[in-house]
Amino acid sequence: MNTSFDLNSLAGPARVGIGGPVGSGKTALIEKLIPAFQQRQIEIGIITNDLVTKEDAERLRKSGLIDPERVMAVEAGACPHTVIREDPTLNIEAAEQMTINFPDIELILIESGGDNLASTFSLDLVDQWMFVIDVAGGDDIPRKKGPGVLQSDLLMINKKDLAPYVGVDFDAMYSEAKNVRENRPVVAINSRSGEGVEQVVDYIVSNLLFNKAMS
Amino acid sequence: MLVLNDIIGSVNDEDIAEKLHHHGHHDRIEFIRMNVADTARSRQKVTTDKGTEYGIALSRDKRLYNGAVLLMDDQRAVVIRVNEEEWLRLSPVSTDAALELGYNAGNLHWRIRFDGPDLLVALEGPAQRYIDRLSGLIDAKRVTVIQP
Ligand SMILES: Nc1nc2c(ncn2[C@@H]2O[C@H](COP(=O)(O)OP(=O)(O)OP(=O)(O)O)[C@@H](O)[C@H]2O)c(=O)[nH]1
Ligand SMILES: [Mg+2]
Repeated sequence: MNTSFDLNSLAGPARVGIGGPVGSGKTALIEKLIPAFQQRQIEIGIITNDLVTKEDAERLRKSGLIDPERVMAVEAGACPHTVIREDPTLNIEAAEQMTINFPDIELILIESGGDNLASTFSLDLVDQWMFVIDVAGGDDIPRKKGPGVLQSDLLMINKKDLAPYVGVDFDAMYSEAKNVRENRPVVAINSRSGEGVEQVVDYIVSNLLFNKAMS
Repeated sequence: MLVLNDIIGSVNDEDIAEKLHHHGHHDRIEFIRMNVADTARSRQKVTTDKGTEYGIALSRDKRLYNGAVLLMDDQRAVVIRVNEEEWLRLSPVSTDAALELGYNAGNLHWRIRFDGPDLLVALEGPAQRYIDRLSGLIDAKRVTVIQP
């Protein structure tokens, strides 16, 4: 690793964690976030966390949406929360390497491996973290008050399009989520169509990318 | 919105203290209140007690603390105030209740402290949220809750 470059003298890129249960749509969301940030001329890098494979990283590299070198993979090799909370060293190193390789990157998105409702990110690793749940996982998820749902900076309820097929009253699920989070932000999204994605981008820009927010 | 990139020093540093004292007389100190947990964030948007919005973007080897001064010029000083932490006191009535309580607190990744036979949990949300997680132990009167 190139260490002659003094990372610590710079604020460096913002870092945002994206967590949530298996299959809730974290990678699908990232596939929609990439072009949305490109459109605003914001350079991003992505770090994925998988158990013992690089499945999600490969998927993003092959997507044609982003320079494959701007996607890095961390293999957790254990419960996914271990490398984003208890010992995030591997992810911190990946983020630092990304910053060295691509000094133009302004934002690094870190996708956690799919986990349970209790997973949270260490604030030593990220500046803000978001949690993705989906309607097909059940409309009682907000009621279960998992730390991911309660403590994340932004909660996203994904697969809005599927609500009628799985017998979920979307508006009720949304207001319940708002309720348990005591009105902290909740965004309804559909990572297939891209609905709601602009709101997520606005949130990140306004809270973390200050120079972009001003222009 | 102004972006603050550095910690200039502490309110206790001699030269800073002097200038602050002067600013204080003219009501030119702005305080940013935050919870302990948020001091770990390198980047965040904040609003001072006077209603001014700032962006904070520190290098990752720096960490905010109570009394950190982020800006000081002729017009104003901007100072971090970390909110006092609240602790929920949990008192197990027996050794086996204590073991179970300790297991639960660890499993839930609560930040804790010991005080004699009691377990103190740092509150990062409403106390009820923590109490709900222990309803089995509490309802069975194996653990007593002493609210802050
Ligand atoms: N209908 C619908 N399907 C979606 C939506 N978002 C994601 N999916 C589908 O849900 C499945 C899982 O999506 P992923 O993006 O792989 O989920 P993930 O959270 O990254 O999964 P892990 O990384 O394995 O935990 C895929 O088949 C997606 O196409 C959505 O908004 N609507
Ligand atoms: Mg994924």
